[in-house]
Amino acid sequence: MAYVRFDLAIAFPNNLFTVLKMEKSFNITWIVLIVLTIVTAIFANMEMKYVALIILGLAFLKFIGVAFFFMELKKANVFWKVLLIGFLGVLLTAVWAI
Amino acid sequence: MANTLKIDYKNVFYPPGGILMWIVIYLELVTFGIALVFMALSARAEPEMFHESRLLLNTAYGAINTVFLLSSGWCMAQSVHFLKKRNFSKSRLFLNLTMLGGCLFLALKSVEYYDKVEAGLTIGYNDFFGYYWMLTLFHVVHVLVGIVILALSARTLRKKPETLKVEDYVSGATFWHMCDLIWLLLFPIIYLLF
Repeated sequence: MAYVRFDLAIAFPNNLFTVLKMEKSFNITWIVLIVLTIVTAIFANMEMKYVALIILGLAFLKFIGVAFFFMELKKANVFWKVLLIGFLGVLLTAVWAI
Repeated sequence: MANTLKIDYKNVFYPPGGILMWIVIYLELVTFGIALVFMALSARAEPEMFHESRLLLNTAYGAINTVFLLSSGWCMAQSVHFLKKRNFSKSRLFLNLTMLGGCLFLALKSVEYYDKVEAGLTIGYNDFFGYYWMLTLFHVVHVLVGIVILALSARTLRKKPETLKVEDYVSGATFWHMCDLIWLLLFPIIYLLF
């Protein structure tokens, strides 16, 4: 395999503690995402000055939750993380500012 | 070792899911992002029309669909996790639940579309519904493609699980999560913002 040939290989951790930790991480992420969705729906029905900013901020958090935890981007090189956060920041700021 | 995956994700060329899939994801996100910025610009020109049109959307449908996709994404992450452990039965179970979540999303979306068509709120009704139909239908196409990819993985997982490459499976899963990401942009902006 190319990964082995270029000496990039590390063993994927598969001990019980790591497995349980990962499952817990997915569960916590899912609960947080559902809670954020409910909070978004509540804020959407409120008449507040900064409600649009709050909705977009919550969308930012949910997006990061899915990308970093479900898609495991947290394990990736910092380049991919910065690119995603940068794109999201620019997009949501543009939508809000317009 | 069968249950050992040898990938250094910290290497810039090997993000989880593969570099090609991430290039696709960024291209998709930029495409949807540009359309959403144009939508916001149109809303600035006609704020009242956009606000009144937005109120014609069913926010509950959008929120429930968000829950379907997020739950489906959670199942997908679990499925990948169990595949890496070579626990094929649990991986298959969570993959089927993932596809169920996708199908529920599509079913509710169909109900929503039916309501809109019945009410005459079609793509040509006004600018808001033009954006609504184009963006959400384009997203639905992605969900359909995602379900096909997952169904092919499910077939291999059922018939010859030992031949399924983890990298390929993670790529398919990453595409599925991309559908979540796109929806997490569409839902607040189209259904709640204007």
